[in-house]
Amino acid sequence: MKADYIRIYKSVHTWTGLISGMALFIAFYAGALTVFKEPIVRWVSPPSQARLVPLADAQTLIQQALASRPDAAKSFVIHVRDDESVAQRMEWQIRDPQADDHDESATRRYGATLDAAGQAQFQELNPSILGEFIDVLHRVVGLPVDSDPNRWIMGVIAVLYTLALVSGVVVLLPSLVKDFFALRVGKNLKRMWLDAHNVVGIVSLPFHLVMALTAVVFAYHDQIYGLQDRLIHNGQWASAFQRPAAQSGAAPSRDPAHMLSPPALLDTAQAAAPGLRPTALEYQNVTGPRAVVRVWGKDPTAVAPRALGGFIALDPYSGKPLNTDYLPGRQDTPNLLISSFFALHMASFGGSAVQWMYFLLGMAGAWLFYTGNLLWIETRRRKQTRQNPLPPAQRLDTLLMAHATVGICLGCVCGISLTIVGGKWLHGIVQDMRNCHMLLYYAAFFGCIAWAFCRSPGRAAVHLLWAAALLTLCIPATTLLAWLIPSLGLWGHTSAATLGVDLTAFAGALCFSWMARATARRLARGPADSVWAGKDSSTY
Amino acid sequence: MSDAHAKPVRHKTPPIRRDWLAKTLAGTVLGATLALGVSGLYSHLHAGLALPTRGQLAMWMVPPIWLGALSGVYFFSSGLRAWLWLGAGNALVYGALLALPQTG
Repeated sequence: MKADYIRIYKSVHTWTGLISGMALFIAFYAGALTVFKEPIVRWVSPPSQARLVPLADAQTLIQQALASRPDAAKSFVIHVRDDESVAQRMEWQIRDPQADDHDESATRRYGATLDAAGQAQFQELNPSILGEFIDVLHRVVGLPVDSDPNRWIMGVIAVLYTLALVSGVVVLLPSLVKDFFALRVGKNLKRMWLDAHNVVGIVSLPFHLVMALTAVVFAYHDQIYGLQDRLIHNGQWASAFQRPAAQSGAAPSRDPAHMLSPPALLDTAQAAAPGLRPTALEYQNVTGPRAVVRVWGKDPTAVAPRALGGFIALDPYSGKPLNTDYLPGRQDTPNLLISSFFALHMASFGGSAVQWMYFLLGMAGAWLFYTGNLLWIETRRRKQTRQNPLPPAQRLDTLLMAHATVGICLGCVCGISLTIVGGKWLHGIVQDMRNCHMLLYYAAFFGCIAWAFCRSPGRAAVHLLWAAALLTLCIPATTLLAWLIPSLGLWGHTSAATLGVDLTAFAGALCFSWMARATARRLARGPADSVWAGKDSSTY
Repeated sequence: MSDAHAKPVRHKTPPIRRDWLAKTLAGTVLGATLALGVSGLYSHLHAGLALPTRGQLAMWMVPPIWLGALSGVYFFSSGLRAWLWLGAGNALVYGALLALPQTG
């Protein structure tokens, strides 16, 4: 009876894992990098051409800019930080109202600065979309656009992932005490891989459960809200988020010159929220009766409601706090609970220690799905016998799975490294960097898959691991070249965050080259009766 | 087992029927309706919370309940039992929802 349950859940685990495994590899590899989206964007951003207007003069900038661009009064941002990714002190966006909520390509960004005469100058901004591109790969398991149908595909993968997690635990539970921390390295390869797969799976289980369930929510929240609105909320849901309408007899238009200056607003916010480290001021409807400024910031000691941190909303004219529902550390219990779901997915709590932990857990997750496929292949291996001393032909399905696993997983790794490097080399040469990043990634991705299917899986793995190592090494090499040969027109930032990107990429390249050498050794000395040993002239 | 000792013949528990399609459908469909029903009960019982907060919490509880039901459904000994038990759970939850005094 008990054994029968385990057999059933083993089938569930095998099939859900097999279908979702490679998509999850992409989601986790790209997701681990998305934890450090900001440093990656800073790494790739060119040095700012224009001098940033000092924060102390930002009030003049706002007045000058709004005088000639009144449409920006609806919503604009004053950056408080001065890092590499900030092109202009003042920035606003105009969105195509037809576009999907999650479609960033429908947004045009503008920046404002002051010239020597104190007049506002405007410029359309093209901030790097590299971070966004990697994030989208993460959110929709390697598809190019974060659209509704793609999110539903991701949702199906996330449901299968949840089933794979639960079924994996059910299968492992009866022997957990015996198998836990037992890593039996030896002749029995399958045993060793299974032990390693189990240890990583069980140790990071809470992380994976959180990721699976939140991913399902991110995929289907619109549909769930829609159903609940009809079933539970009597159609009141949409209106619950609207603020009460302004009194009729519209208030006279207000003059932004009477607003408190950005430094004064920051002082006010700091007094109300001492732990908050402000990053930006987001102004809304400053000429209207319901003007508000959100002081965005991060607080490493508290749970952040959003990936960007949290905010306190102030009245920009009086400085009076309007809303602290999204202020890290000041939320009431129900709102804190909701924020914690986001924070647990996006690592937006606990500062950089937690970010590194999530980075490593994400990489371990990618590895977990890779080993799942290896186990599936190893289980179906045809072995040499005494009667049949020649290595038997391996099953076609395991051979195809080996080709696909190597090509898709390493294709994603190569593609991301190439598109990061390309962001610097092709800047200024290519106009449309959005398509350029996409083209570079998918060229490498599909190129790797093609290569993996043209070679034996083992050989392809060695080649593609070397390719991944080289492409990843190009990231710090580009920075080094920019310093050594300034005439190239490249740039290398020296802030700790961007040097961190270079160092992490260097460590990654070392890891890939180590794996390439280990795989080559396995090819040379490993058993001949395995999909990994086959010569290039495959058996089918 | 050895035949030497004439033990009274025990009824062997019948093997668990696989019923992949029936069980998966039961978990997917009835699990989802169950989760929506439970979130409705939660919302009714916490009417004191502001709607934006209550609604978000009600939404967040749907996937864990739905997928909890879906991933547990293969423990049922047959597809029919899965449909009956989950159906009974649904009837209970929606019965409670109807029995609760309508507010708002």
